[in-house]
Amino acid sequence: MSEHAAAPFRDSLAGLLTEQPALGASFDLLWRQAERAVPAGARASWIGACRDIAQAGLGTACLIAYLRQAPGCASLLGVGPAIALANAAIRIGAVAGSGAALALMAASAKAARLLGSAEAFLDWLGAIERIATLAPDVPTVLLDHTETVLGHLGVRGLETWATSGIRAAGADAEKRRRFFALIDPSARSWLGRGVEDLHFNAVERRMQAYLAALWDCHPTLRAASGSALDLPRRTSFDGALIFVPETYRGVGGERAVALFRAALAHIAAHMRFTRARFPLGTLKPLQVAIVSALEDARVERLAIAEFPGLRPLWLQFHSAAPLGAVTAPGLIARLSRALLDETCHDGHVWVEKGRSLFAERAPGDHDAASIRRIGSLLGNDLGQMRVQFNPRAYVVEPLYRDDNRGIWDFGDASGSPESAPMQEAVRIEAEERGDGHAETSTAEPEPEAGRARALAAVEQEAGVEVARYPEWDYFISRERPDWATVLEYEPPLGRADLVPQIYVRHRGVVDRLSALIRAAKVSRPERLRRQPEGDRLDLEACIAAAVGRRHGEAPDPRVYITIARRGRDLTTLLLLDISQSTADRMHGVGATVLDLEREATALLAHAMEGLGDPFAIRAFCSNGRDEVRYYRVKDFDLPFGSRAQRHLAGLVPGFSTRLGIAIRHAGHELAARRSHRKLLLVVTDGEPSDIDIADRRYLVEDARKAVLGLAHAGIDTFCVGLDAGGDSYLARMFGRRNVLQMDRIERLPERLPTLYLKLTA
Amino acid sequence: MNVRSRAFRTRRLPLTAEPRPPAPRTRGAGGLFDLTGHTHAGRAQDSLAMDLSGYLIEQEPYYRPVGDEIALFEAAYAARMPMMLKGPTGCGKTRFVEYMAWRLRRPLITVACHEDMTASDLVGRFLLDANGTVWHDGPLTLAVRAGAICYLDEIVEARQDTTVVIHPLTDDRRVLPLEKRGEIIPAHPDFELVISYNPGYQSVLKDLKESTKQRFGAIEFTYPAASVEAEIVAHEAGIDRTEAERLVAIAERSRRLRGHGLDEGASTRTLIYAGRLIARGVGLEAACQVALVLPITDDPDIRDALTAAVAASVPG
Repeated sequence: MSEHAAAPFRDSLAGLLTEQPALGASFDLLWRQAERAVPAGARASWIGACRDIAQAGLGTACLIAYLRQAPGCASLLGVGPAIALANAAIRIGAVAGSGAALALMAASAKAARLLGSAEAFLDWLGAIERIATLAPDVPTVLLDHTETVLGHLGVRGLETWATSGIRAAGADAEKRRRFFALIDPSARSWLGRGVEDLHFNAVERRMQAYLAALWDCHPTLRAASGSALDLPRRTSFDGALIFVPETYRGVGGERAVALFRAALAHIAAHMRFTRARFPLGTLKPLQVAIVSALEDARVERLAIAEFPGLRPLWLQFHSAAPLGAVTAPGLIARLSRALLDETCHDGHVWVEKGRSLFAERAPGDHDAASIRRIGSLLGNDLGQMRVQFNPRAYVVEPLYRDDNRGIWDFGDASGSPESAPMQEAVRIEAEERGDGHAETSTAEPEPEAGRARALAAVEQEAGVEVARYPEWDYFISRERPDWATVLEYEPPLGRADLVPQIYVRHRGVVDRLSALIRAAKVSRPERLRRQPEGDRLDLEACIAAAVGRRHGEAPDPRVYITIARRGRDLTTLLLLDISQSTADRMHGVGATVLDLEREATALLAHAMEGLGDPFAIRAFCSNGRDEVRYYRVKDFDLPFGSRAQRHLAGLVPGFSTRLGIAIRHAGHELAARRSHRKLLLVVTDGEPSDIDIADRRYLVEDARKAVLGLAHAGIDTFCVGLDAGGDSYLARMFGRRNVLQMDRIERLPERLPTLYLKLTA
Repeated sequence: MNVRSRAFRTRRLPLTAEPRPPAPRTRGAGGLFDLTGHTHAGRAQDSLAMDLSGYLIEQEPYYRPVGDEIALFEAAYAARMPMMLKGPTGCGKTRFVEYMAWRLRRPLITVACHEDMTASDLVGRFLLDANGTVWHDGPLTLAVRAGAICYLDEIVEARQDTTVVIHPLTDDRRVLPLEKRGEIIPAHPDFELVISYNPGYQSVLKDLKESTKQRFGAIEFTYPAASVEAEIVAHEAGIDRTEAERLVAIAERSRRLRGHGLDEGASTRTLIYAGRLIARGVGLEAACQVALVLPITDDPDIRDALTAAVAASVPG
């Protein structure tokens, strides 16, 4: 590279910096870096990018930051990403201000190092740009934590996580700032979730079945969320309660399933074979760790004697090898492996000693005592070897083992001074876990029991949190787990005479309905003539056949009559929208939308009761994602008696319409019913909306996803729309054929029951 | 006597001596217009035993008693008490009836009950032939006339209005009224009615009427104790004892899931199927997957748990 070929570039660059005399000496340094990183052929476009930044009005500080950072990017990833960085900075600066652009420059080198490929880097730029468009104040805060966030989530996870945060905060700028500054605990918790990691909720049911099959044990499993910034999590148990990490960071797919299975099998082995807790006594933390490892090995051996297939399941996670520096946790992990895998040769004196001591335990010896004795011996040896052991940072290896809190009896707080740190660490963790648990307590493993309890509670309190559901974000094409909370309420009791009055007022409709019901009562036996099989002969057909034979024709063989009953096996859930908009009065009618819904419901209930179909009535409204209110007006197994009628009368309009979540919860209820056909009938008066959602499309897409989910579970969903102009979104949510638009809402009370009869005929 | 002989004249009897499944509905083209020209009038009364010989069980079926069920059944038969065999699917109810039929040397007529079964399917019906209508006995009538053991398998599957036709047979009257023919058939002295039912299916819809239940003596069947079950599996599948014991252990694990995602655990029959696959060289895990895991559940979570439980029970 000749000196004079480079000179024009140098001059033009210097020209851009004329306003910065202070740069003076360091300009040479910057130039040399740039010269090294940017090949001669690309230099012109690089200078062009510098010029663009200078002219974008982001201030000279931005240009200097670019000059400092871009060469680093360029040498790591090539010139293309470095130039893309300039363009992205200009666009982000335009929407989010020069501060954001500056932060982007500052974060770019770290991102380039972490991501390591030009493609990922470009994705990262794109993601930041989209985030800036969504919420201009976010990038500045977010980019400060680039290393943490990218390290945990990668590019794909970053965008999901960030949009979660933006949506969670809604319009609250302070909440948003706290989220992206990683002060908000949910931000940290979601950070730990990763995109590809398998969430325990997804496998909880099969794990429950696995434990029941192997050991006939039915513990309560809880997913405990942890912050990504803490120590890695292990399972933990206390009595029949097992805490499982929500995810094992970085473990996904089949391996994660195996890991959850291995972890639970290990705990089940403890529950079966660890007869009594070990008293802490005067053991040092290191000895505690070793005794724990020995006890782990003992229960695993006993379990393997019964289930030989568990050995390979556990062994796949033992990766401790006699390599690297000798540390206490490393040695304990190696000992664990050596005890499980007889074929593994470790070679370390201490490990081999542990193995032989363990093997030589006297058979008659009391297990807990001998384990404890070997543990303290080995602990002393390790102490004499002066290897490092930090009880606060110690995490049991391998991954599937539990934290062993369930096998120790810590006594009261006045333990020995040595054991205090360990104990304290344990206690801190317990507190944290308490928080985490309160935050993400998942549904009870046995839904029936959970529901019964919830029902009992509804009676006393105003609203009870019964479930959390995911919500679909079309923007990132992904579900956000545990996103919205459903609170169940028992509606207030209204006037007892309201519903009977409806029947009086609509006497004509009631009569017509009763006639229709009689006609539709399909459980009545039906005589089918001219059947190929049957109980008795159809004389007319027989005569015709005989006549046919005489004519020499082939007779019609369908000469029987059968009597068939067409059974009706249908369960219906009627879901009413009682958001604030249903308080609107109708022109010329004087009744509110909710009044009409109520009348229609009363008449429909009359019809369904007449047909003997089991049905439930629910109403919903919402106040943000943390408060989706769900009113139980009538339950499946109760008659539509005076109590249910008074509940119906007591419904009052209020709040907004988070339709998708209500549909999911209703679907969950229907799914538990044993019925050939299940029908969810939704009556809504307008587009879904909620106070924390500005994007009109978001809730529509989520409701669509919820309806698809129900269809998957074999539940039909049908919507009666009371908004004459609601064509577009109703059809989008429910499908064109599953929507009935009421052009004249005042006819709803008449139309709804007939619609039901038509739908179910 | 008069009544009986008239009935025989119009009855279509099995014409071959080969064992064949009882066929309550033999319609279709041939059944409807029977043009084969057989005349039933010439049938002698004493040909009866011969005609039912197809239903006689010649070979001793393998049956491993688990308790005193054989003695109980023999006593019940001596008293001609109708019997009900209760128990989960595949635990040996049908095999037990076959064994008892062989032991008592009675023909066995089995009817698998189903939802669409009508009283006519049990009792009989008029069919058309070239010259008019002809009465065709149903399997129950056949057994009543000839003194066979009639075994109504999974009786709850049949509708309740169908099952009431057995009521007059199961009290001290011991008669079968043929309403359509205006005829009452007294039961043959050797006739015995046995029904089976699986209380596991019990739902409000599928349960026996109280009046039906109380006409029967009952023997309860469950899966045999592990060692006995292993013996049965080893014998029936032709595998060695340790292999059979392993299968039985796996079955026990699946039975623990009953009520926790499974309606029924793996039955002895599925174990025998798995064993037969093993006897033909299939690996234990694969055989369990084919015979035991995949058939009993469609629930992916439970299937996964079962597969893992099988894997845990197989030496790695």
